[in-house]
Amino acid sequence: MKLEFIVNDKHEIIDVYPGERLLDALRNKLGLTSVKEGCGEGECGACTIIMDGAAVTSCTILAMQAKGKEIITTEGLEKSGELDILQESFMKNGAIQCGYCTPGMLMSSKALLIKNPNPTKEEIKRAIEGNLCRCTGYTKIINAVLDAIER
Amino acid sequence: MSEIIIKTPDNLEALIECLVCANENTGLISGGTDFVIQLSQRKRYRGTIIDLSRINDLKYVKEDKDVIRIGSGTTLTDISENKLIKKYLPSLSQAAGQVGSTQIRNRGTIAGNIGNASPCADTIPPLMSVGASLKIVSGEGKIYEKTIDEVVIGSGRNNLKFDEAIVEIVFPKLSNDYISAFAKLGTRKAVTISKINAAVALKYSPKEKLIEDAKVYLGALGPKSFRSEIVEEALNNKIPSKELLKYFSKALTKQVDISIAGRSSQVYKREAIKGIGHDIFYKLFGNVVPGGDS
Ligand SMILES: Cc1cc2nc3c(=O)[nH]c(=O)nc-3n(C[C@H](O)[C@H](O)[C@H](O)COP(=O)(O)OP(=O)(O)OC[C@H]3O[C@@H](n4cnc5c(N)ncnc54)[C@H](O)[C@@H]3O)c2cc1C
Ligand code: FES
Ligand code: FES
Repeated sequence: MKLEFIVNDKHEIIDVYPGERLLDALRNKLGLTSVKEGCGEGECGACTIIMDGAAVTSCTILAMQAKGKEIITTEGLEKSGELDILQESFMKNGAIQCGYCTPGMLMSSKALLIKNPNPTKEEIKRAIEGNLCRCTGYTKIINAVLDAIER
Repeated sequence: MSEIIIKTPDNLEALIECLVCANENTGLISGGTDFVIQLSQRKRYRGTIIDLSRINDLKYVKEDKDVIRIGSGTTLTDISENKLIKKYLPSLSQAAGQVGSTQIRNRGTIAGNIGNASPCADTIPPLMSVGASLKIVSGEGKIYEKTIDEVVIGSGRNNLKFDEAIVEIVFPKLSNDYISAFAKLGTRKAVTISKINAAVALKYSPKEKLIEDAKVYLGALGPKSFRSEIVEEALNNKIPSKELLKYFSKALTKQVDISIAGRSSQVYKREAIKGIGHDIFYKLFGNVVPGGDS
């Protein structure tokens, strides 16, 4: 089936299987490997993307459900060669260790900042509740988001 | 996988056309947070999937004279943030706001939560506590209303026919002196299918100080959420106080003992439900009984 949508500001048309997950379509058909598969059950957040402005887990969505939608992945954060403020502050604040959770964390944080440019610590915690990180213990990630707001 | 066909209606008429052609191999998908996982675990049929998520006409919360109407495709995020729901049924707002995670709430819908009919579905106890009903369309183009209790069988099953879909959830606007609250408990704080949940709605006017007409629904203690008359009796015609909280907790424990007698979860749940009782009690009466944050 033909899927037409906008991914990282680019109009894309790809061929997908009817039962294919959005996660697989983004990775395999568009090569967007920042979108990771952790659990495949909506629990870990590694596959988080932004769809029409909201953070969603791409492993719980069928590719065809993204017809006509606007999607942002971590690849789309970088604008004309420059990293997004969030990416920079993640690096600066040691919020990245193994990096497996990072793209998902960035997407959840970015979606929060789109909706609410000035979130509290509690609001940040709630936004990344669905993103598991085995390495950092979350504090550095929360600090990185707080730091990005200040800049 | 290739034996699957997807139909993507974008309005109600188109949906009904899809339902006309439905057969026992037809399935409905809204947000997909339950459905897609079941599909990838291959527990699902191969046949036609009707995608309801593109029907924008099914995403709304409206106020009528006596009722609130929620479009079946409204997301849990929108429900948790909606002012009308906060005003008329805070328990539903609280329940929607505690489902899974931000990502799941952004995508998961109220009809999906009901249709999935899990024993611990969080929006079901609040909706049952006010006798909510569901507006259903069929492939014949008929529209009828059934109570949520009639539609939800529980243990992951509902009794909708293959050519039927929920299009609206309707519940009565309770008068000003009704209050409601929801609480849940799960093994993991953030993302977890709740192990026990409960919703209470009751009449309480600060002037008369008396609790009346309590409705108590408990989830995850059986195939589906059910009404607890034992707990309702413990609340009715009482004045909110710390003693009443103890009495309420005891009644909750008693209900757990009756409902899941002899199950391995009984030992845990008969204690855990006290925390839920505490939480709900102070959500309801925090402004009249001291000690909420203890
Ligand atoms: C990580 C994770 C955490 C979760 N945590 C919770 C939680 O804490 N509490 C909780 O209650 N749930 C939880 N869930 C379950 C799920 O997110 C909810 O049940 C959600 O509301 C389902 O909505 P949906 O739109 O995604 O449904 P879908 O997956 O699209 O559909 C679910 C079922 O409902 C049926 N259906 C959908 N729409 C309709 C309709 N209009 N008419 C008739 N039938 C319909 C479908 O056929 C399907 O059988 C969780 C899920 C995940 C993946
Ligand atoms: S892979 Fe999607 S949430 Fe874990
Ligand atoms: S940095 Fe390793 S999982 Fe988060």
